[in-house]
Amino acid sequence: MNYGETSSGPFIRRFSSQAGFLLLLFLVAALPLAHPGPNVVRLVFITLVWIAASVGWNILGGFAGQVSFGFAVFFGVGAYATAISLNAGLGRASSLLLAACVAAAASVLISLPTFRLRGPYFAIATIGVSEATRVVMTNLQFTGGASGYRITEHGAFNQLLHYYVALAVAAIAVAVSILVRRSKLGLALIAIREDEDAASDLGVNPFRSKLLAHAIAAALTGAAGGVYTGYAAFIYPQGVFGFDISVAILLMPIIGGVGTLLGPVIGALVYGFVHEELMASFPQFHLLLYGALLILIILFEPGGVMGMFDKAVRFVRARSSGGSHP
Amino acid sequence: MSAADVANLFVSALLLAGVYAAMSVGMTIIYGVMKIVNLAHAGFLMLGAYFVFELYTRFSIDPLLGVLLGFPVFFLIGMGIHWLMIRRIPRSDQPTLASLLLLFGLWLVLQNLGYLIWGSSDRAILTPRTLSTFQFGPIVVPAVRLVVFGVAVASLAALEFVLRRTWFGRAVRALMQNSDAGRLAGVNVERTARVAFGVGIAFAGTAGGLLAMLYPFTPDFGGSFLLRAFVIIVLGGLESFAGVAIGAVILALVETFSILAIPAGYQPAIAFSLLVLALVVLPEGIAGLWNRRQRWT
Repeated sequence: MNYGETSSGPFIRRFSSQAGFLLLLFLVAALPLAHPGPNVVRLVFITLVWIAASVGWNILGGFAGQVSFGFAVFFGVGAYATAISLNAGLGRASSLLLAACVAAAASVLISLPTFRLRGPYFAIATIGVSEATRVVMTNLQFTGGASGYRITEHGAFNQLLHYYVALAVAAIAVAVSILVRRSKLGLALIAIREDEDAASDLGVNPFRSKLLAHAIAAALTGAAGGVYTGYAAFIYPQGVFGFDISVAILLMPIIGGVGTLLGPVIGALVYGFVHEELMASFPQFHLLLYGALLILIILFEPGGVMGMFDKAVRFVRARSSGGSHP
Repeated sequence: MSAADVANLFVSALLLAGVYAAMSVGMTIIYGVMKIVNLAHAGFLMLGAYFVFELYTRFSIDPLLGVLLGFPVFFLIGMGIHWLMIRRIPRSDQPTLASLLLLFGLWLVLQNLGYLIWGSSDRAILTPRTLSTFQFGPIVVPAVRLVVFGVAVASLAALEFVLRRTWFGRAVRALMQNSDAGRLAGVNVERTARVAFGVGIAFAGTAGGLLAMLYPFTPDFGGSFLLRAFVIIVLGGLESFAGVAIGAVILALVETFSILAIPAGYQPAIAFSLLVLALVVLPEGIAGLWNRRQRWT
């Protein structure tokens, strides 16, 4: 699979520097000043939750090339950890932190056996792990089993509070992703993605790097699940551990541009808005659409939206410079 | 528990294993020839079920005949999909993520097409056979299970014959063992792969029709069977047809006898846990275990 990294030209790289992210951050932070109404705030809130999970997945799936179908485990574990600690009287920030830690711990438990497998075998094992977790959670009496778990709210519901919590988590996720990409770990992950044996020969410990990437990705996804739970106040296993959550978290970075910094954010924007629009009228149609989109992306544009954007930019440049293509 | 109960469980496990083998063999062919993990298998199991269902409810065609009619239909669908998509992704001796994600996308498309066409309510195929039983001494066998087992075993025998006795079968086996050597020996890789993909999908559709006679189904029908099929072919060593039979028997026995030890709610988790366990502990399948032992001694 061709990852966006190699195909993104200098234009994208300049565009995706922190300036672009900061501008986006300010725009989203200032949005409630325009009084857009609760529906729009809710839509942006959900999209921010998706951004955090999508950016998290990309650290393992994009940078390190380890495609996982099992991120619903971390979303769900984060959701339940947050719900339980909120009910136990913990503050919002510390519950989210706890959720991230529990999700990271779960990722280590999953990594230990599954990272003995490579590529597609790892991907398929994660389907098994994720589905087994959902079945266990459906039967666990401690968390209410299939009938779900409720947060007892103290005080009035404040939508903007949830909105800014989601914004903070999404911003942290993007910042972590940029830091990882620029660190030694990021280089090690990309080396593993390109050729695991060669990376190992050059002194990278593939197992340890992948374990760390999985834990970071899981922590971000767990926090995303926690933010969602704080808003929804009621969760059930099929909702937060469902296979469609795993699928959503996998599709967003691939649609946007897997392995790039901006791609997962764009993918989550596309997914978040289209999902909300289509979900109401055609509940099944959006997954049909994403399946078709996935097929088209794999066959024609493995770089996703970022890759298409890049090609368009190069095309326009070549045109304007009088056809003198370098 | 009496001896008769154990015998009953054992017989029902063996009957289940026949269907499981028919359901998994399509994945093995496709994996063996193309090194592609066919995640869309689940979608074709589901389509096979609805194909038989539609023929039965609209034209009152017997489900058994429907299964036979499904074989050529799904064969052509499979060849079409190979021509349309599979041949466009880079060929490799290792399974690639691109092929995995492509077929996953196809699964999403098929599953949600199913939801659009048939809705999400449970369907079942009920014939006069459904409730009748045979009795052999203390052992009671539902007729439909016996019939389904018979069809599954017959289709596997036919496949075995084709693989052993025809040029296409030899080409398939050559590509499974060593695709470069096969190419040197004059095997048309592209065409063999297309036909093999068609056969794999045809077996998926047939198995879907057989499973539909045993279980109620929705458009989400294939998912759990896909993972079961994967457990079976991993246990069987991924590329061996005899391994598929062994894997199917093991999974069927484990699932059937686990009702004695594991609460019903946790039953679906058995296949999933076994999948992870098989991948991690037995990457070369049961046969690999045997080979390793031989190397040690």
